[in-house]
Amino acid sequence: MALKGLDIFKLSPKKNCKECGSPTCMAFCMKVAQGAISIDKCPYFSDDAKAMLNEATAPAMKTITFGKDHKLGGETVMFRHEKTLVNKNLYSVPVSTSMTEAEVDKKLADMAKVDYERIGERMYVETIFVRNEGTDAAAYAALAQKALATGRDLILECWDVECAKAALAAVKDSKPILDGATPANWEAMNEVAKENGVVLGVWAENISDLYDTVKKLEAAGNKNLVLDVTGKTGKETLANAVLVRRTAIKDGDRSFGYPSIVNLSKICGGDMHLETAYAAMFTEKYASIIVLDNMTYAQALPLYGLRQNIFTDPQKPMKVESKIYPLNGADENSPCALTVDFALTYFLVSGELERSNQPVNLIITDASGMSVLTAWAAGKFSSTSVKKTFADLDIENKIKNRTLIIPGKVAVMKGEIAEKLPGWNVVVGPTEAVQLPKYMKDKEYEAAAAAAAAEAAAKAASAPKEEVKELSFEELLATKVPAIEKVDMGVKYKGYNPESKTFVTIGERIHCISPVIRKAMDERDPAPILKRAAEQIAAGATYLDVNIGPAEKDGPERMMWAVKLLQENFDNVPLALDTANKKAIEAGIKVYNRTNGKPIVNSADAGSRISYIDLAAANDAICIALCSADGIAKDNEERMKHCHNMLERGMSLGMDATDLWFDPLFLVVKGMQDKQMDVLNAIKMFADEGLKSTGGLSNNSNGAPKTLRPIMDSALVAMAMMQGLTSAIVNPCDLRLMETIKSCDIFKNHVLYSDSYLEL
Amino acid sequence: MSFEPKKQPYRGKINAVTLGTGDKAVVIGGQNVLPFYTFDAPIEHAPKIGVEISDLASEWKSAGLSEFYAGCTTMVDYAKKAETMEGADFLCLHFESADPNGVNRSVADCVADAKAVADAVSMPIVIMGCKNIEKDGELFSKIAEALQGKNILVLSARSEDYKTVGASVALAYGQKVGAETADDINLAKQLNIMLKGLTVSPESIVMNVGTAAVGYGYEYVASTLDRVRLAALDQSDADLQMPIMAPVSPDSWSVKESTASAEDEPAWGDQEERAIGMEVATASADLTGGADAVIMRHPAAVATIKKFINELV
Repeated sequence: MALKGLDIFKLSPKKNCKECGSPTCMAFCMKVAQGAISIDKCPYFSDDAKAMLNEATAPAMKTITFGKDHKLGGETVMFRHEKTLVNKNLYSVPVSTSMTEAEVDKKLADMAKVDYERIGERMYVETIFVRNEGTDAAAYAALAQKALATGRDLILECWDVECAKAALAAVKDSKPILDGATPANWEAMNEVAKENGVVLGVWAENISDLYDTVKKLEAAGNKNLVLDVTGKTGKETLANAVLVRRTAIKDGDRSFGYPSIVNLSKICGGDMHLETAYAAMFTEKYASIIVLDNMTYAQALPLYGLRQNIFTDPQKPMKVESKIYPLNGADENSPCALTVDFALTYFLVSGELERSNQPVNLIITDASGMSVLTAWAAGKFSSTSVKKTFADLDIENKIKNRTLIIPGKVAVMKGEIAEKLPGWNVVVGPTEAVQLPKYMKDKEYEAAAAAAAAEAAAKAASAPKEEVKELSFEELLATKVPAIEKVDMGVKYKGYNPESKTFVTIGERIHCISPVIRKAMDERDPAPILKRAAEQIAAGATYLDVNIGPAEKDGPERMMWAVKLLQENFDNVPLALDTANKKAIEAGIKVYNRTNGKPIVNSADAGSRISYIDLAAANDAICIALCSADGIAKDNEERMKHCHNMLERGMSLGMDATDLWFDPLFLVVKGMQDKQMDVLNAIKMFADEGLKSTGGLSNNSNGAPKTLRPIMDSALVAMAMMQGLTSAIVNPCDLRLMETIKSCDIFKNHVLYSDSYLEL
Repeated sequence: MSFEPKKQPYRGKINAVTLGTGDKAVVIGGQNVLPFYTFDAPIEHAPKIGVEISDLASEWKSAGLSEFYAGCTTMVDYAKKAETMEGADFLCLHFESADPNGVNRSVADCVADAKAVADAVSMPIVIMGCKNIEKDGELFSKIAEALQGKNILVLSARSEDYKTVGASVALAYGQKVGAETADDINLAKQLNIMLKGLTVSPESIVMNVGTAAVGYGYEYVASTLDRVRLAALDQSDADLQMPIMAPVSPDSWSVKESTASAEDEPAWGDQEERAIGMEVATASADLTGGADAVIMRHPAAVATIKKFINELV
């Protein structure tokens, strides 16, 4: 079973001797956990430790596999917000030997009608619950075969040993569950299950007998079990389901660490509505297989929707498929509206568009499941990604109408999209979804589309298309970067010694999300940028972050200008170059002066942005490395896995380990309060391996009142520095925060104390 | 070694809040265990069901509802009929038509309806507004005044208007007040603290911590309910120990699964059954998460959830 890397690490020798070929013990343990390397490669792991590992790291609840590829159980928590739920429950409908052939046929035919897709997931009855209620082995085997012919996986509920044998002889290759062991027959049933290599289900009159029977089966060597926790009533069944889960997860008693079956057809007396109510409850708590008398759309639509929600990973956003969604009978002549693939955005926007009753083609573009503004800021929703969506979906040919409504929140993208999609009239829609019905009904987009068309025509007429040639950085610098005018801002940069242990503050205030800065960048207007730089330097910032936005079009010249502007005016202040445009970072480094330290590439991650490490390595730069891939890491196991992936990549490219500054991703307290200590512990793990760390610390207090934020940020930075944080991306103009950082540097003995230490 | 189930009652306890007066008064909240965990400790007060009556009820497109309310024209007619619904514990008067962007019915007309209903029925009354902050503020205050002594609950005070709603409804007229937030446990706590800051007593506060139909971002509702209940019981957080009332019907009856006709979605089958399914599953999920009362619409759904509750407590 899967061992946890961090648990292995606790028992490791922690020598970092590198004899195993890995840079650190932590890295080695992570690889062992992934099965990439044998624990025997380490000469110092004691046998006792290895034995303890096997015992201590067996999961509290087993993952049971059956059928074609269905996984049950494997859960690690009681509530989804604690981490995530792992394996969604399955639904099942029963057929029985007590039913007539016609009844069985009808049941199977009705069951098969429910088969549809919702947000990328096929919704259907995954399993058939085949009940034996007699002693006619041939009849039961025939029933099992008939059920199997539907293509669904089977659960054979059969307490008669001979009938079970006959049915398994017919269908064992489909790897059904044999739900057949009871306190009376467990020995014989255990033999049948073992001979046929199938999962064994266990049922008993009460939970105490169930426990005893499991113990006996385990003693007989069978741990491939599921527990049928169905009681005489709904009340008893809920008690069983909760107690089984709680005993396994909270008390660590692995004899109840198996998935559960709940059979509602036994306790609801054929009341379909009541079955729906119970099925919703057991979807939340804690059944792995739920048997309902029937599955109609009236039951499936709510239950499958609920299941899809409950089993969504809280750390990973729910995404809808990137495609054209024709609404209100839209066809190729209807206008198009564009938004991102975050499921909530999709539901909100499609719902409001439907309310408008106007035909419209809703185009969903891939944005990694982020909301509109977040995706834009992260470079996941850009004119390039939109162009790619249009090409992938062949929209040019599928739709004749040329009006494209984009979300009002990204009005700034209008020009770029228009350029990338020639012939389309790009119109800026409302900023909020609730404004859509009125916007669509009043056809506000028509005038705007006409204006866009006229504008495009005028542009085409006045400016004959010139050949665009890619310029070298030198040519760009010579022709596209305005000369830097020196302005005396009355501030001198204090200088920075990269060897020093003092905490590195990276000033975050030159950021394109600020309209003032965005405008100044667009117009190459030095004043607002110099002003913010001067304020941050005066406040004691070590580095300045320069975020030029996605800058798809003119990134290189933009970044070169910004780097020269800041360094030439402020004594070669060191900079972090922050943009999704890699060419722009490269260009910035070309003109960068290293007097006060290497440039920082902001940032790489372990997912789609991993190649930023290559960029940093090729240019001898420091690289901020976000310990995440797609979405926030769900625990420190995952954080450290990402950390080591990036560490190895950097080192294999010749980087010093200390030039990778690992970012655990500070999380917002309002929403992720229970994950704050995880982040702090990750910093300790980085520090224990001698790695440097940084991060957008003030994210913790996002959404908190202005008066609270400096207090929260200061407390967190003190805790994080205690854990070994070496840098943070902060607002240096926050006096309380900067004073806290300076004081912590005193306590950490990084700076010699003097009464004037705050003024230094 | 046989299995001995461990009991897990909590130190923290949900406030018991009484709505209405006389024989038909109901108590919501009061337990010190997770929902329906009778194996940990007895549930003192079973969750309650409120029946929604809208002043736009005549527009409801459901054969079952039309049949049940056949012959009803005024809100009083609807309310008296709703009192007879199997499983109903209280009534929820939903003044949707007050919306200035909709029918824009006058406050005076709405108050007259509320007063007439209060005089005609004996079940406790819960008031829902039209979601327009300004209109609701006036409406809530006037209804609370007109129904003084009836011990009604007004849904809801939000962070935008808790001062006016809290002060008039709870302080001036002695009614119960709902504290409404949207899937945000921090804001839910803050709003209760602010209401208490106005000197509204905790026993006069009921929470609505966010609603959605199952399938529509319900994971946020589920996790908010889990976290609020655990904070109240496990951490004994007195600022989150208010009972929770979940309006189920407005969401579950407005999603596509419930509104698409059989012609629009031929594969989906009977429209009414789908709407009942959405309402039942959403109510069950809310109750499983921690709702102490649910507001529902369809007689079949109400009867089902009543049976469900009775079997579980």
